Amino acid sequence: MKITAFLVLALALLPTVRASAQTKVTIKMGDNLPDRNNTWGAIVEQINGEFKAAHPGTEIVTESYPDQPYQQKIKIYATAKQLPDLFKFWSVVSLLKPMIDGGFVAPLDRAEFESLGYLPGALDTNTYNGKLYGIPVSMDFWVIYYNKKLFKDAGIDHVPATLDELYAVIPKFKAKGIIPMTTDGKDAWPLSITFDQLVWRIAGEKGLPRQALDRKIKFTDQVFVQAARALQQLVKSGLFQEDLMVSDYDAARNLFGQGKAAMFLMGSWELGLGTDKSFSDEFRANVDAFKFPVVKDGKGTVDDLMAWYGGNYVVSASSKNIALDKQYLVFYAKRFPELAWEKQAALPAQAVKARPSDTPVARSILRIIAESKATSGTPALDLSTPRFKDDNENAIRELCSELITPEVFVKKLDAAAEKAAKK
Amino acid sequence: MTDRGTPRATGRRAGLAVLHVGLVLFALMQLFPLLWVFLCSLQKSGDLFGNDLIRVPTDPQWSNYARAWTNGQFVRYGLNSFIVVTASTAVSTVLSFCMGYAIARMRWRGKRLALGAILMGMVVPIHATLLPNFLWYSYFGLIDTRLGLIIPYVAFTLSFNTLVYAGHFRNLPAALEEAALLDGASWPRILWSVVAPLATPATVTVAVMTFLTNWNEFIMANTYLASDDLRTLPFSIIRFQGQYRSDYAAQFACMVLVAVPALALYLYFSKHIMAGATAGAVKE
Amino acid sequence: MLPGLAVLVFSLVVPLGFSVYYSLTDWDGLGAYQHVGLDNYRAILTDDPVFWRSLRNVLLLLAATVFLQNPIAFALAALLSRLSARASRLLRTVYFVPAVLSLVIVAKLWVDVFNPTFGILNKLLRAVGLDALAVSWLSNPHTSLAAVIWIILWQGFGWALLFYYAALMTVPRDLEEAARIDGAGRLATYRHVIIPYLAPMIATVIVIDVISSMKQMELIYLTTQGGPGQLTQFLGVYLYQKAFVTSEYGYGNALSVLFVVVSAGLTLLVHRGMRVISR
Repeated sequence: MKITAFLVLALALLPTVRASAQTKVTIKMGDNLPDRNNTWGAIVEQINGEFKAAHPGTEIVTESYPDQPYQQKIKIYATAKQLPDLFKFWSVVSLLKPMIDGGFVAPLDRAEFESLGYLPGALDTNTYNGKLYGIPVSMDFWVIYYNKKLFKDAGIDHVPATLDELYAVIPKFKAKGIIPMTTDGKDAWPLSITFDQLVWRIAGEKGLPRQALDRKIKFTDQVFVQAARALQQLVKSGLFQEDLMVSDYDAARNLFGQGKAAMFLMGSWELGLGTDKSFSDEFRANVDAFKFPVVKDGKGTVDDLMAWYGGNYVVSASSKNIALDKQYLVFYAKRFPELAWEKQAALPAQAVKARPSDTPVARSILRIIAESKATSGTPALDLSTPRFKDDNENAIRELCSELITPEVFVKKLDAAAEKAAKK
Repeated sequence: MTDRGTPRATGRRAGLAVLHVGLVLFALMQLFPLLWVFLCSLQKSGDLFGNDLIRVPTDPQWSNYARAWTNGQFVRYGLNSFIVVTASTAVSTVLSFCMGYAIARMRWRGKRLALGAILMGMVVPIHATLLPNFLWYSYFGLIDTRLGLIIPYVAFTLSFNTLVYAGHFRNLPAALEEAALLDGASWPRILWSVVAPLATPATVTVAVMTFLTNWNEFIMANTYLASDDLRTLPFSIIRFQGQYRSDYAAQFACMVLVAVPALALYLYFSKHIMAGATAGAVKE
Repeated sequence: MLPGLAVLVFSLVVPLGFSVYYSLTDWDGLGAYQHVGLDNYRAILTDDPVFWRSLRNVLLLLAATVFLQNPIAFALAALLSRLSARASRLLRTVYFVPAVLSLVIVAKLWVDVFNPTFGILNKLLRAVGLDALAVSWLSNPHTSLAAVIWIILWQGFGWALLFYYAALMTVPRDLEEAARIDGAGRLATYRHVIIPYLAPMIATVIVIDVISSMKQMELIYLTTQGGPGQLTQFLGVYLYQKAFVTSEYGYGNALSVLFVVVSAGLTLLVHRGMRVISR
């Protein structure tokens, strides 16, 4: 017993023996894709493999964690000055800006990326003070997925084009024991994005939340109240799953995939629903997407798209091989769109060519973005401080839990914006 | 406590029956989560989180376990977990045994201060220590090492364990120890041969508590470790999480695999709680 | 004695010192920061209803633990100690199972059970005709706190059982024999002999209850995240959110320091209280 104890202690204190360095250089990467065998994680692994082959003597070591732990760790690394050479990060305005200001991120050479097919405005979102700080990896926009078969079974022959039509289909689905629509209520951001969408639909003018954050207008203005009322009405009408506010992303997605819900309110990154083997063949053949409906008397059109560029890959300023890191990014930018589209894993921030093997839902996604007349840019909750995001999410939760009225909601939002503006 | 066949006695027997039924029902309720996780682990990812709480899978996906074992790096992470958690449990138990004894039995200068430190140790929230410790450990080169994880694991369980031991010792009559002292035994001898056996219930409690707390621990492992070859078991579960979509079924399979050693350990140790009982009797 | 203290100081007291330092700043965790003196503390104590609510919820949880969970655990431990060794070991192992499972599993399970449409609880309620009670347990403002507290109590039950059982095992046989010879019934034996004997250990368990109630974080985060509308906010979760999610690191650290102060205070109070009671 004593001997085993001693052995265990000794083992514990032994430093681990790492593979001796035949490699010249090791690139340390960080991202939020722990699953390296499926979808996006698998694509990055493939790209890494190809890069290593093209640059012999390079080793790539990746640290991946889920979102929250990942963000935390990056912040700790930044403070301890031990950031990975390349890492995935989020939008400039709220999260990346402090990193740039703190000198943690290295600027990139914009010219190297200009010819790589980035969609209009993609590179601009990561440009700060005239310099490019990261490459955006995906084009994300807000859309409604639906199950064609469930629509047909409920006797609905066309997708709702207005909110009133959306309300009209609710009883038809409920009569069949089907949830009309699911979304992730627990995390609040989907509902916050929907709020922004409603503001645009009502006002016909984009960028109003940003103006409110810049304090040119106030969140207590009428248009926001109307949007809040519309959002709360969506919840009150029984459109969503009953425990919306504790229902998380996985639950919402699975309910839709199992054919228990007719629609799924989410972003374009879910185009992979059409190829997800964990759902039935019937589901995959019947999933499609349509544009968010218009509001009666609203000035916005159906082609005003809540769209933004998601996720960046950035280079740490303290990396010892900045040149190599930049080469990696160029390589990534060249390979990612093709691989991502081939695997239907994500909608890249670069142009993709439609393929005959594309699923109906993928085709709809491409069609929707092609037909869009205007895009919103980053949603309001990510346009300001992290504190604002938290206040926004809490207020949304209270509004959708019917704990506060739309009028109180906009007051809270405005107070939060005021506080954020002072910083 | 008189006659047997009277209504009161039958009432008592009926009451006993009800009690037994109650105990069994309660046992079933406690076993339910394990059953649930196991059944979930045999589903397909897409079938989870749906209507039915329990669904006996018509098509058990044993492949989930295969994936959990290989993609989840079960062997490597399991070994790391085993080393780190066992070491920290052993160290924490021994140290808190000494500290608990010192607090309960001895009187010395600075005792108040030590008690204060122990109290602090119990109430400090883990999250507040992550960043400072990371910077501090970095300085000593402890980041991304096993030792760098063992130290906080010991630190955070030390206070509780000391408290448990101290409470236990306070209740133990000092007669046996005094007898041994009179016999001329040295302190280490006394501690080892006399006190330790008496403390067995407490030791089991402490060891089990420490082991289980650290076996499932994630946030500190996440902060203080970086390399894949050092990661512990909770990481095997996150290997199946993507940014938006995850392999849920494999995650459940992982959870079952992670829970098995912990359960086995508890099964093994729980029989030792009895051992202290007889030793606790002191013949006057 | 010394090595143990050294570890403690290294890993806990020093970070606490850091914490105090940061709590006096407005640091967001990354870049430059300014010293703001006691502003954070002032804001928390006078301007932050969420802080007080989370404190209140912690105290409610503590009350539930001490007055509901502990007595039941004790009674069950006493019951088990009277059964045969084999039966007792089997049942003890079974009853402890939830404590072995990771909190992620416990959270997922109960979110499922409490699901208003598909969850087993509501299904049972509807089956016996109690439809009116079939609410959305975790998101309904009236029931969410109770539901969360239930989950926490349920998960910790195994530990309480373990502690009390181990404690009961230390009661010397002679003590019980003496009481029986004196003619005391079973209940009376417990009330007047065994419980007072175990008073120091019970005090220990209650102190542990205090600490764990204050530190509760994962289960709440994984089920309600403090919602709906901060109704189920607990100090541990709030602290985490402020320090890491909203990048108000200085504020979060001030919360940590207050957390430590309140915890220490409660602990000392319990200690003092138990000493008075055992007189």
